[in-house]
Amino acid sequence: MTLKFEKVAQVEGAAGGLAWDGKAMLFTSMVMGMAGGNILRYDPASGKTENFRKYTVLTNGIAFGPDGALYGCQESSRRVVRFMEDGSTVQTESQINGSYHNQPTKLTVDNRGRIWFCDPHSTVRSFGPQFVPYLDYAAVLRLERDPQRKLWEIKRMTFDTTQPRAVALAPDDKTLYVAQTDNSPGGLRELRAYPIEADDVLGPYRLLHTFGRDYRGEQRGIEGMCTDSAGNIVAVAGSAKNGPGALAYVFSPTGAVLETHAIPGDTPMNCAFGDAGLNSLYVTTAAGELWRARDCGRQGRAFAK
Amino acid sequence: MLELDLVTPGLTRLLSEEAPLDRIYHGMTFGEGPVWNRRDSKFYWVDIVGDTIYRYTPGTGTEVLIHPSEKANGLTFDREGRLNVAGWASRSVWRVENDGSVTTLASLHEGKRINSPNDIVVKSDGGIYFTDSPGALYNPAMAAEDLQQYLDFQGVFRISPDGKKIDVVVTDVVYPNGLAFTPDEKTLYVNCTRKGEITAYDVKADGSVGKGRLFHKLTGPEPGIADGMKVDTEGNVYCTGPGGVHVIDASGKLLGRIRFAEHCTNMAFGGPDTKDFYVTTYTSLYKTRVGVAGVAVW
Repeated sequence: MTLKFEKVAQVEGAAGGLAWDGKAMLFTSMVMGMAGGNILRYDPASGKTENFRKYTVLTNGIAFGPDGALYGCQESSRRVVRFMEDGSTVQTESQINGSYHNQPTKLTVDNRGRIWFCDPHSTVRSFGPQFVPYLDYAAVLRLERDPQRKLWEIKRMTFDTTQPRAVALAPDDKTLYVAQTDNSPGGLRELRAYPIEADDVLGPYRLLHTFGRDYRGEQRGIEGMCTDSAGNIVAVAGSAKNGPGALAYVFSPTGAVLETHAIPGDTPMNCAFGDAGLNSLYVTTAAGELWRARDCGRQGRAFAK
Repeated sequence: MLELDLVTPGLTRLLSEEAPLDRIYHGMTFGEGPVWNRRDSKFYWVDIVGDTIYRYTPGTGTEVLIHPSEKANGLTFDREGRLNVAGWASRSVWRVENDGSVTTLASLHEGKRINSPNDIVVKSDGGIYFTDSPGALYNPAMAAEDLQQYLDFQGVFRISPDGKKIDVVVTDVVYPNGLAFTPDEKTLYVNCTRKGEITAYDVKADGSVGKGRLFHKLTGPEPGIADGMKVDTEGNVYCTGPGGVHVIDASGKLLGRIRFAEHCTNMAFGGPDTKDFYVTTYTSLYKTRVGVAGVAVW
């Protein structure tokens, strides 16, 4: 089937992460500068977009946990934060083994409330002095609460990634999908499936998809993805520069390309299911657009507020 | 020995290349908040990231005064000699009482939490002025507990002498950082880290200020930003900027610069004659001598 995308919102800066809150779609705008953008809320019932949270400091990916907590990746400030319902914003934990992690871009929360986030190196910088060195690796990290003290702690999950930029979990939490997306010359752009082993480490990954390059340069890899209720992976990748253009892909858990859909905007950033029944697919772009395709033929899965 | 960039010969009356440059302390991550206490003849400053307020006794050495400090930033003394602190990550202005206890002087504006107080100065009437840029809401290693910015502006606030009122006095500076009064207190200077400008405001009798005017725009290709700023008794303005400390006369004209290889953050006059001149950098506290006494802190 062909998806019919309609533009439902346009914001300043780049649009980034998405999270369905049960009634409306939250999405982030990222604006270079001190305030750094907002979280906006598109209400499909009214068709209106309102400000949900101001001064979000380049928050990119957002996600709800099973308990309704809303988390976000503050890419320039190098932390995963929780946006509290009283309007405050608090850190989770931003150090792993005593060192600050890199620049989180996307996150997903598993059924146990653990936050899986990708932590690449990027050129985005916060305002002010840059004192804190970066990790000498770029991995998928996992935030989880210490069962005794209830404090957050971070564990390193991947040891073979160089630029992980998107993550998604299978509905049964037994497979972690990672977009290894290094769009620089010669960089690897792959969709990988890591089995989550019984002893809570990742097994060797299966390569599901790879993106090529030609004289026009590297085809832009996956920037955002999610899974549907059947366990397929919906991902956005590509750009108008080369390759097949800006596309939404649907991959089976084994990597078969089940569908592709052209996205009207360029440089897609993320995708998520929304609307009643979670039957619509929403896509954000670097140009600040929020696109929606109703009745996309698949059903999403989401924790909401 | 100082390394000077002479723009006009007038600088040599203020600064000499023959003056010693002593490194008093080093090993910090983000030195700031320098202030001389004329009552105990000791020098105070902070390491923001190191979460410490230090005290230096000339001839004796340095001790840790307060740690942790909730990322204390600018320091000054009030008319009673109490240490007043621009609390960067505490998102408040607080005071150390003579018995060592701590009193919060400001943390809210119209019921909303303020940004993150950066630098602070006390006027002769006891009014406390502080800049409130949101730096503690951005950076790892300097982060406040609540990272949410609530105010839609970055202001300069004034706490009334009786401590009962907290008024906004300046809202038109993009990123207000250093602030200082002229010796006659008729003008308040506020610098902007973003634009590299110093704005001058006429101070009214009630402590509020008039419309701002551009006093000086910092220039230079080197790294360095508008951060700390102080004034001497002749009205010359010392301000951090590209390449080191910029010295500007009372009319707003650049006299020259003290060159520092390191990123300078702030400065303060001190010593019995107020001609000792201390400079904080990210890692160190330096001390030299100047020809014209600074405006003493109460």
